[in-house]
Amino acid sequence: MPLDTSTYSLALLRLDGRRWNELRRLTAQISTQAAADGSSYLEMGNTKVICTVTGPAEGKRTGGAGTGGGNEAEVRVEIGIAGFSGVDRKRRGRNDKRISEMQTTISNTFASSLFTHLYPHSTININIHILSQDGSLLAACLNASTLALIDAGIPMRNYICACTAGSTSSHSANDEAADPLLDLNNLEEQELPFLTVATVGESDEVAVLVLETRVQMGRLEGMLAVGVDGCKQVREILDGVVRRRGKRILESAAV
Amino acid sequence: MTSLKRSLASDPYASNISSKVYVRSTKSGKVQKIVREVYLRQDIPCSSKLCSACLKTAPRDASGTLPPFVLSDTPAGTKEFPQGHYLVPDTNALLNAMDLFEHNSAFYDVIILQTVLEELRNRSLPLYNRLIGLTKSEDKRFYVFFNDFRLETYVTREVGESINDRNDRAVRKAVHWYSEHLTQSVKTAGQRKINPAIVMLSDDKDNLSKAKADGISASSLEKYVAGLENSDQLLDMISVAKENREMKDANAKAAENLYQEYFSVSKMMTGVKNGTLHQGIFNVSPYNYLEGSVHVPAFDKSLLVLGRENINRSVQGDVVVIEILPKDQWKEPSTKIIEEDTLNKNENPDAEDGEQVVTERERRALQEEVKQVHSKGTEGRAQPTARVVGVVKRNWRQYVGHIDESSVSQAAKQSRKQQMVFLIPMDKRIPKIRVRTRQAGEIIGKRVLVTIDSWDRDSRYPVGHFVRSLGDLETKGAETEALLLEYDVQYRPFPKAVLDCLPKEGHNWIVPPSMDDPGWVNRRDLRGLQICSIDPIGCQDIDDALHARPLPNGNFEVGVHIADVSHFVKPNNAMDAEASIRGTTVYLVDKRIDMLPMLLGTDLCSLKPYVERYAFSAIWEITPDAEIVNSEFTKSVIKSREAFSYQDAQNRVDDASQQDELTTAMRTLLMLSKKFKQKRMDAGALSLSSPEVRVETESETSDPIDVKTKEHLDTMSLVEEFMLLANCSVAAKIYDAFPQTAMLRRHGAPPKTNFEELANQLKVKRNLELKTDSSKALADSLDACVDPQEPFFNTLVRIMATRCMMSAEYFCSGTQAYPEFRHYGLASEIYTHFTSPIRRYADLVAHRQLAAAIDYEQLDASVRSKGKLEAVCKNINVRHRNAQQAGRASIEYYVGQALKGRIVEEEGFVMKVFSNGFVVFVPRFGIESLIRLRDLADIEPESTFDAENYILKTSGSREVEVELFEKVVVRISDVVEEGTGKRKVKLELVKTGSK
Repeated sequence: MPLDTSTYSLALLRLDGRRWNELRRLTAQISTQAAADGSSYLEMGNTKVICTVTGPAEGKRTGGAGTGGGNEAEVRVEIGIAGFSGVDRKRRGRNDKRISEMQTTISNTFASSLFTHLYPHSTININIHILSQDGSLLAACLNASTLALIDAGIPMRNYICACTAGSTSSHSANDEAADPLLDLNNLEEQELPFLTVATVGESDEVAVLVLETRVQMGRLEGMLAVGVDGCKQVREILDGVVRRRGKRILESAAV
Repeated sequence: MTSLKRSLASDPYASNISSKVYVRSTKSGKVQKIVREVYLRQDIPCSSKLCSACLKTAPRDASGTLPPFVLSDTPAGTKEFPQGHYLVPDTNALLNAMDLFEHNSAFYDVIILQTVLEELRNRSLPLYNRLIGLTKSEDKRFYVFFNDFRLETYVTREVGESINDRNDRAVRKAVHWYSEHLTQSVKTAGQRKINPAIVMLSDDKDNLSKAKADGISASSLEKYVAGLENSDQLLDMISVAKENREMKDANAKAAENLYQEYFSVSKMMTGVKNGTLHQGIFNVSPYNYLEGSVHVPAFDKSLLVLGRENINRSVQGDVVVIEILPKDQWKEPSTKIIEEDTLNKNENPDAEDGEQVVTERERRALQEEVKQVHSKGTEGRAQPTARVVGVVKRNWRQYVGHIDESSVSQAAKQSRKQQMVFLIPMDKRIPKIRVRTRQAGEIIGKRVLVTIDSWDRDSRYPVGHFVRSLGDLETKGAETEALLLEYDVQYRPFPKAVLDCLPKEGHNWIVPPSMDDPGWVNRRDLRGLQICSIDPIGCQDIDDALHARPLPNGNFEVGVHIADVSHFVKPNNAMDAEASIRGTTVYLVDKRIDMLPMLLGTDLCSLKPYVERYAFSAIWEITPDAEIVNSEFTKSVIKSREAFSYQDAQNRVDDASQQDELTTAMRTLLMLSKKFKQKRMDAGALSLSSPEVRVETESETSDPIDVKTKEHLDTMSLVEEFMLLANCSVAAKIYDAFPQTAMLRRHGAPPKTNFEELANQLKVKRNLELKTDSSKALADSLDACVDPQEPFFNTLVRIMATRCMMSAEYFCSGTQAYPEFRHYGLASEIYTHFTSPIRRYADLVAHRQLAAAIDYEQLDASVRSKGKLEAVCKNINVRHRNAQQAGRASIEYYVGQALKGRIVEEEGFVMKVFSNGFVVFVPRFGIESLIRLRDLADIEPESTFDAENYILKTSGSREVEVELFEKVVVRISDVVEEGTGKRKVKLELVKTGSK
């Protein structure tokens, strides 16, 4: 039994040796699958996600009176969690509530930030495969989707960048001196209150905010501030990835 | 094609990221592989005040504050390290000698490495918690250095390297880094600062020799301690567990194993799961140290564990796994008193080899019982008997006792030679403990504190080490401290952090005169009411006050006003934390250990007369027939008109000439309380009894002079009835508001089997029937248990019935179904404690919940979380029980002191009969003591014991016949036992009863 989150106060160090305001190692690549219209691979610590985008393509009629038939493109999200991704091998059914909630969150977020009105009567499919889970799952999915959508060349307002923020002591410990935390890993998510926040580009505009654990009102502001700040750091990293890719394309085109 | 493979060089993190992979198994037996990231960094400070480099890079928390550096710039030194030193203990050192590290005279400036902390947590959670406590104390200067997160000190496990070796290497590397780092920083500082040595403390020879090879200063614990000033005292505190281990290695073959080996954990768990083995808490019979019982869910009756071999090294309170013996080996509970100190008086604590587990005398004592079982044939009362096959969790704590003088060799008394001695614990259910000490001569005749370190298969007794001496036997200070330690009462003065939470005004605090003050918000002004308090004489912490006044419609308005402690003790501050740990105030004969600091308990919260105080009031409208019309709760300000003692109040009520408002109000209350009581009794409330005496002490020296039985006055039940009423109404209210998390108190209905023996005894001896179907039936049948010739008989039966009951407990409403809330003794559907927040933590929680229920304030998160509340309940249940026992033990000690040097003849009653003795209860002094057959005459008389009729007949040197419930006359004196130097009340039989 290794130490738990209660040791934070001893030296202001988290379970994996980070400080309160540090992200985990975040690396990403785009255009990883040539066959897809857009694709990306993203790692936030040990959380590893592959995302592919197909479309915009003509919506299927058989779906009935779906929203895809309207004046705007429909964003469909499908998340698959690999059996080996977690500590325990768990089979998730088709109707897993957690998964469908994540799907809805992601699809709603991008429906409002993509220029869907350019593609009437069509569908944009986002397929996410989770290879390894270690916390901040929703945030990783959002970030990977942003990259894949950019790779697919679908016009969008700005980057959607996400991360999680938590607090160093649990709700019932009610410790006044609790520090906010950035980018929680799985172990921290199990013990501590946390929220997932996504912002639009460098702005402070919040696109997603999910909080499912109990936390004191007073701590929320600090957590949110740290989370938004983290999103900006994430944007820098994603932007770097995109620019590097763009540069390479330009170089190869010049030859 | 793009490849996903990254080149390491392009990754900026590559050098400082590492991962930790380990395998763990879950409770259900699944194996999980865990992969965790480790971020290595260079900004973890050394935390020495000598170092300025680390100060620059040291981390700050979210609010930008820098944790202060811990390690002193002028650390203490020893002969070997005159320049001063920082200590770095490894895990073994902490495991073996945590008591040393907690000692005040040495062990300052200690660096605890993360590796060590983690390893310690794996090995022993209690020790880990003690260590965390140490790192939080400011004056001990313990610093936790996270070496596994610092780039320079991180160590990867090599192929083929064991985890222990890797950890040892990590410790050495950290020590090495520290000494280089400090040399460097002292040099750059330029000033003539001293450069302290970094000393690794270890008990591992291999580790020490490797340290020497690496050029690190290292020392074994023993060697280090020997260089300190008070080394003798400190050396005793090193656990012997380690030494034993080494010794065992040396003569592994020579030593014979006396006990059976424990089953492996997995074997025990599977056994318990499929029902072949059982798990429960091991309890030792107070009369027979070789008989234990374990209650397991699968059986109604407790399972017996008889004899040292079957008990197999379990100690009172351990969680054990047992195996039922075949039916032909079942025994009945002994009818004989067996005490350890009389049987094995002359053992030699040093004897290691050739020992038998069961001494010859023990064997004989038990054999007689076996014979009895056989003679009675199969229809006897044999109970399922079992043997212990493993211990799941030890309940070892620190034990108070005294050294068995006879186990100390005469020659060694003067010398400083180390020797083994026996410690006899105060608690009779704990076996003797072998303790190795150098101070045998000094600690004879003292109360001492020891801990048990281990109990190996080849040792007849557990082995422990000496912690400290409390003082001479029979001195008031030592005995009181012993009591407090034995019952785990927190008696240390309140720390500064707690006192800082008190109001700044101190004793000058008053209710704010201006009604605009925030303190007055939502507070009702009840200062105009004629309120008074009624308490025992000399009571300083007045929790409750009452008032009553007639209403125009013929009904009465009755108010119970409780000290508003929750106004002063806010949740989650240091004072609240301390109070929740203490749980309750402990009352000893000459001393009170407060739950809250004096300032609050006896002044600001206490509802003293003639001054204004904050209160929490429950106000009812009650008809003259004691029906409640309506009730309400409010925070208030009151001014008590008078603080009565029970006697004063009684006198005033009885004196017809007194017609003032207060007295009439008290008469009203008395009238109503009698009706309430009648109603309760009709509903089946029990009136139970426990032997209660009061020790009168001389006012100045507090030496006991006399013992009085407590009188009962009407005014006592007046107060009691209204407190019960308040508690019940509050319980209903908070349960209504917080169905999941209300703090309530329940009293389970006792299982029928508990009364079996008493019912049988009453039937055989007095032809009385004890009905136990419901509390009402029990109450009625207890009322019927009278002996016209003997008025005390009824009380005696009540005392015995009380012992068959379950104990009441606090619980959180979400953890039980509503029918389980019932309070059996009070015959109330729902109950809580609300009326004594100064002295009970449960009441304080109830106050907070009630305040939230009436929308006075927000409910704090800590009293809304079920898990937290459960933990609080668990703690206060234990504290409550301990406080009661400590109080009783204190009275017992003082009764003994009061009787010192006197010889009195008194009436007593036989409560229990054994085949070789009987227990007599003396109501006058509330003492219960054993008279053994061999005490009856110089030569132990022959005896016949009729177990069915509870009659013991003796013949030969003295002829008497003793039967259960019989009235006897005994001579009470006090004797000092030669072997132990302990004073004891001794009863001698003068004559048997009237028949």
